[in-house]
Amino acid sequence: MPKLTIDGREFQVAEGRTILQAIDDLGLLMAGVDIPHYCWHPKLSIDGSCRLCQVEVEGMPKLQIACNTPVTDGMKVHTANERVAKARRGVMELLLINHPLDCPICDQAGECKLQDYAFDYGVAGARTKEPRRPAKKSVELGPTIVFDQERCILCRRCVRFCQEVPKTGELGVFGRGDESLLETFPGKPLDNPYSMNVADICPVGALTTRDFRFKIRVWFLDDVESICNQCARGCNISASRSNNKIYRFVPRRNDAVNETWMCDHGRMSYKLNGQGRLAHARVDGKPSSAYAAAQRAGELARQIRAAGGRIVGVASPFASNEELEAFRDFLAELGAGPARFAVPRGESDEILVEAEKAPNANGCRALGMTETNDSLGHADLAFVLGHTTHAAAFADVRRVVLIDSHESALSARADVVIPARTFLEKLGHFTNGDGIVQRFDPVVEPAFEALSEREALDEIRKSAVSAAAREPG
Amino acid sequence: MQSEPYVKNYLSEHYGSDAYRTLEGYADAGGFAGIKKALSLPPDEVTELVKASGLRGRGGAGFATGLKWSFMPKTAERMKVIVANGDESEPGSFKDRMIMERGPFQVLEGILIGAWAMGAKRSFLYVRGEYGESIRALQAAVEELRAKKYLGKACFGKKGFEHDIIVHCGAGAYICGEETGLLESLEGKKGQPRKKPPFPAQHGAFGLPTTVNNVETFAHVPFILERGVEWFRQRGTEKSPGTTLFGVSGHVERPGLFELPLGTPLREVLGMAGGVRGGRRLKGVMPGGLSMPILPPSELDVGLAEELLVPKGTHLGTGGVMVMDETTCMVRVACVTSYFFRDESCGQCTQCREGTGWVHKLCERIERGRGTAEDLALLDDVPSLMEGQTICAFADAAAWPIQGLLKHFRADFQAHIDEKKCPFSESFEL
Repeated sequence: MPKLTIDGREFQVAEGRTILQAIDDLGLLMAGVDIPHYCWHPKLSIDGSCRLCQVEVEGMPKLQIACNTPVTDGMKVHTANERVAKARRGVMELLLINHPLDCPICDQAGECKLQDYAFDYGVAGARTKEPRRPAKKSVELGPTIVFDQERCILCRRCVRFCQEVPKTGELGVFGRGDESLLETFPGKPLDNPYSMNVADICPVGALTTRDFRFKIRVWFLDDVESICNQCARGCNISASRSNNKIYRFVPRRNDAVNETWMCDHGRMSYKLNGQGRLAHARVDGKPSSAYAAAQRAGELARQIRAAGGRIVGVASPFASNEELEAFRDFLAELGAGPARFAVPRGESDEILVEAEKAPNANGCRALGMTETNDSLGHADLAFVLGHTTHAAAFADVRRVVLIDSHESALSARADVVIPARTFLEKLGHFTNGDGIVQRFDPVVEPAFEALSEREALDEIRKSAVSAAAREPG
Repeated sequence: MQSEPYVKNYLSEHYGSDAYRTLEGYADAGGFAGIKKALSLPPDEVTELVKASGLRGRGGAGFATGLKWSFMPKTAERMKVIVANGDESEPGSFKDRMIMERGPFQVLEGILIGAWAMGAKRSFLYVRGEYGESIRALQAAVEELRAKKYLGKACFGKKGFEHDIIVHCGAGAYICGEETGLLESLEGKKGQPRKKPPFPAQHGAFGLPTTVNNVETFAHVPFILERGVEWFRQRGTEKSPGTTLFGVSGHVERPGLFELPLGTPLREVLGMAGGVRGGRRLKGVMPGGLSMPILPPSELDVGLAEELLVPKGTHLGTGGVMVMDETTCMVRVACVTSYFFRDESCGQCTQCREGTGWVHKLCERIERGRGTAEDLALLDDVPSLMEGQTICAFADAAAWPIQGLLKHFRADFQAHIDEKKCPFSESFEL
């Protein structure tokens, strides 16, 4: 393993890596070892054009770009001397001479690398009085992305992303010299299932998503670590919240799961948290409190069990591992058989999207639950988490107790309905398609009385058992 | 265009003859002796000969040709490629055009010698798009070589020596003369230089190991093989042997090409070009094309070779000698120069993209009499933000001439600022 010395600190790094890659591998880039950069991105090919990551390498007469300089054993690098600082100041000054400096009305302000590095490495005053390069405002590049051309610093991350990840190549830099402009190819809008990632990787405010643009200043947002629940990939995300409202999902880097990307469908799924929610508990179609509904469900269980009726359990691949385990134990206590579950399926791709459109089918499997879409057949009582099993499968089920977050065909016919928290409203773990167990944290509080599945099951169990204890004989 | 240089030497000896442009005429004049000699030697020995000759690339950077050839991988795992650079886009340079038009077989023979030495199966001859006559001459010559089976499965009847040459037409961009910008353009992409590593010898045209040499460089090679290293080294200087075609342009009585040994004093070259036109006084000379810093008249005794020009703060470049007399406004020169580089910057690297534009705006403001002392101070500094920090040498090429003009002709700039107008002429259009 080559030894790399940066500003006197020694690192053992992997073979065949460039300086930036090696530091990124160690998880230290901009987190202990600061080498500012624009065009370099850990998951895209090396471009080497922004020239901000120049460092001094002993034995090389010119400054070298850290992104493209292979580490050799014993290499000594200086990132903080005056020569490097002067080069960085030069790059920052030149990047800003054609930049509108419209931070007060720019959506990127607060999470802008141009702001950050100007603060760290720039100069306070401007030496230029030239007019800026003429460029367009608010260009709709496609259905998801709006482009402010004048803010673009031509790092070409977005160009490489479209070429290398979705392989759709909608973007290019047209023109030459200081008349270079990022554009879409004529008649070819930026429209692919991963298009919104370009807004994440744009280091400045040039590319913004139509959805998030102008919604809120980013410094009002807290980011909570979560997991996308739209397919078995389980992309790591940050859910940005303010005032108990979710404003966006952005991907969080996990090289083993989603690298630094997520699909547009998953990104937009933050909206589902507020849509079609099951907001009130119901018993036989009449509003109830969640606790009263749980007690009623427990009563049903007790009665049907006493009458020797058949009780079945239907789990959900949207539930957390903790909830699934609680459900398994709950069913065992009631003497019901092991739970079954159904997984919605759809299109997959070779990038991230999996055919299993649920985050935790593997969690169900790991607990010995059976996947099936068949009818439940005759049963006297079904306890159901979520609504992934088709309502028709319940045709011959006498009584249904549903614990769910969203209204559905099943919630319309269930005898007892208990509103549940979504994954954004509780803590838990999902096991993704590759068997990786991932944690999600609560982001917001539901605006109404809702229980987690575990709380609901606990209430039902208490009611069933305590009532059973009171039952004579 | 002249059909031959005003002063001839070995390279241009037969350029006046139209027959020299045909395979038969070229052979009659002693052509193909170099490749025949090369084919009698093991490939490595040919490279060693070129190394020993001290031949330096004639495209501007002056890199040792034999050394460059030795960078090519020795194994035959991947097809190896030669690219001959005939993009000649440096303002003030017009030598390659004559070589391609009048001595196309010299270039092709040099390429074939290189192909034998490096084991290359394919060559691309990238010719500046505006050079219609060069393209026609080279294309006709390639077809004659193919018909004669000097190209093909067994070139010159030599078993195992397979080679073909493809003439490729550029589309008019200065940056496509930069070797990796050229490779991108050759592959059908936007002409933007590639970051290094990887170097062309590992990952060049179409990802294959590639050596890029200027067409004039190739034209010298047959003579080295035919006449020997000793003979070659009798011309030029120790570090820069051989001749080159100096292209003299600007304010001289007789602008044109002169084939002279490297190291010939600038004063002699100017004399051969008839001196400054109309008996005017000399103001400055750019010795190596537009991208090389200007020399003041006090440096006329410098020899035109890279190692002699470097101590004077400039470079040989392509040997395009641009002469300016006393009527020249050096701010205008800076303005036009910076306009050219602003227009031709490919736009990848921050310093070049933004810096060339800024420098031009400053120069133009000063030239139009609206410049200030701050503008001049900026012009002193901005080029220093650009040089030595980019993917290719273009930013250097854009920065150096401005730095040279400021160094030697600061009074011109100051006069524009003091008088708030150009002291030389009324107005101009770019």
